Amino acid sequence: MSNGPSRIAEFIKKALFVDFVKGLSITLKYNVSRSITLKYPDEEKWVPDRRFRGLHTLNKDENGRELCVACELCAKVCPTKCITVIPMEDDTGRGIADRVAKVWKVELARCMFCGYCEDACPTRALRLGRDYELACLDLSCAVKEKDELLRPQSIPETIQGGFIVRSRFERTPEGIKVVPDLRMQKKRNL
Amino acid sequence: MPDTAILLEVLVIVVKVSVICGILFGLPLPLTWLERKVAGHIQVRLGPWRVGPHGVLQPFADMVKLLIKEDIVPDRADKFLFKLAPLLSMIPAFLVFVAIPFGEKFAIPFIGNEITLYISDMNVGILYILAIGGLGIYGMILGGWASNSKYSLLGGLRSSAQMISYEVSMSFAAIGVVMLTDSLNLLEMVRSQSGSFLDWNIFYLPVGPVWFVIFMISALAEINRIPFDLPEDEGTLAAGFHTEYSGMRFSFFMLAEYVAMVTIAVLTVVMFLGGWNPPLDISIFHLVPPIFWFLGKVVLFIYFFMWLRFTLPRYRYDQLMAIGWKVLIPLSLVTILVTGLMKI
Repeated sequence: MSNGPSRIAEFIKKALFVDFVKGLSITLKYNVSRSITLKYPDEEKWVPDRRFRGLHTLNKDENGRELCVACELCAKVCPTKCITVIPMEDDTGRGIADRVAKVWKVELARCMFCGYCEDACPTRALRLGRDYELACLDLSCAVKEKDELLRPQSIPETIQGGFIVRSRFERTPEGIKVVPDLRMQKKRNL
Repeated sequence: MPDTAILLEVLVIVVKVSVICGILFGLPLPLTWLERKVAGHIQVRLGPWRVGPHGVLQPFADMVKLLIKEDIVPDRADKFLFKLAPLLSMIPAFLVFVAIPFGEKFAIPFIGNEITLYISDMNVGILYILAIGGLGIYGMILGGWASNSKYSLLGGLRSSAQMISYEVSMSFAAIGVVMLTDSLNLLEMVRSQSGSFLDWNIFYLPVGPVWFVIFMISALAEINRIPFDLPEDEGTLAAGFHTEYSGMRFSFFMLAEYVAMVTIAVLTVVMFLGGWNPPLDISIFHLVPPIFWFLGKVVLFIYFFMWLRFTLPRYRYDQLMAIGWKVLIPLSLVTILVTGLMKI
């Protein structure tokens, strides 16, 4: 029998539970290792990278003038036709040019966050930002108007992103909010 | 009019029985929590977390859920047997604890009376435990049979076949321990293992470890835990013999299962790991009350069972039978021979 010794080795391995102990040591290693669960929304929140494509945001320049010139390129390029832009004349210095947007709204229920609009924007007014908690109970919050989009987003541009920070879960009459602790004393990677 | 000494003795026994019943009824709560935590951490997640700190109140939430669930009895089921089965599987699991010792005599502080940490010191304790423990299977067979469901019937049949085959090798392992310690009394078994850990039965070379392995494997099959949980094989039998049970009746089966797990852990500790004897015969270890050594070892074994559950896959039915009849029983016969020769 050519396979005699290997069969004996196999038998000894079985009798001493070698494979069994190997399996148990692997599960024990996992048992004492750190869990990868993201405790969202109770205790932790993910801060996305800068390249993340979330809720639209309209930027202003350093003098506080709207960068959007209402060229309607974003509306033209949008594959789902979810952006509506209506331009108007305004020489009060509200925008960087005399042409500003009277209406700039996006229907998030149709938006697929492809990012073509920010690519098309000639003045870099439009960016897809890092807010991603967009759920609501009816379609009323699915339409975002210009006033709301002009406000700065919750995570400032200076923060790199791509990690998990501690957060606070807030329940107010207006709704629920998960506020990240951006001092980042206890951050960890995904 | 009986004198006060007898009355006191009866009172002490009643108190001991009710304390043990209370503990056993309460046990599934921490054990389910622990099992889910161990499962979670082995799978690199957290397990219960939301209810209470670290999810410790989760079992209470589960209990409330089970209590308010509808109690369904299938239309064509045998109503009487269907209702009897959970009790038949639960009561023997509790009865076993009559014979199990938790420690030697213990003096109550401030009163000076001595009480014993066992309900009854039977001189055939191990026989009693094996006999009563074997009764629990009636609950499973009847539960599976009375449900009038194919899954339940198959689960019940499997459990009967499995438990009958593994009862044999488990009893053989008990016989081995009886031969090693020259006694059927569980207290005597523990006393004979006093000293350092080298005096424990598991280190009674060369047969001790073999008896331990035989006992562990057949006990795992006996209490229907993975890798031998074929009676409730989710993949093929839905939930096995308790498929049709819901609410409190289902939780009786769960209770019986957890109590059986504790019983096996306690028996292993008593029979092989020196009971309440500390691992080394040095004075520091004797400062710790013996009951803590005992409970520590039991908890270790309970953790081991859970650890196994989330490590091993389930055996196939023919593999289960082959392990029982072709490996464990011949092996235990040979080991009895060796043990007998060693004892001459």
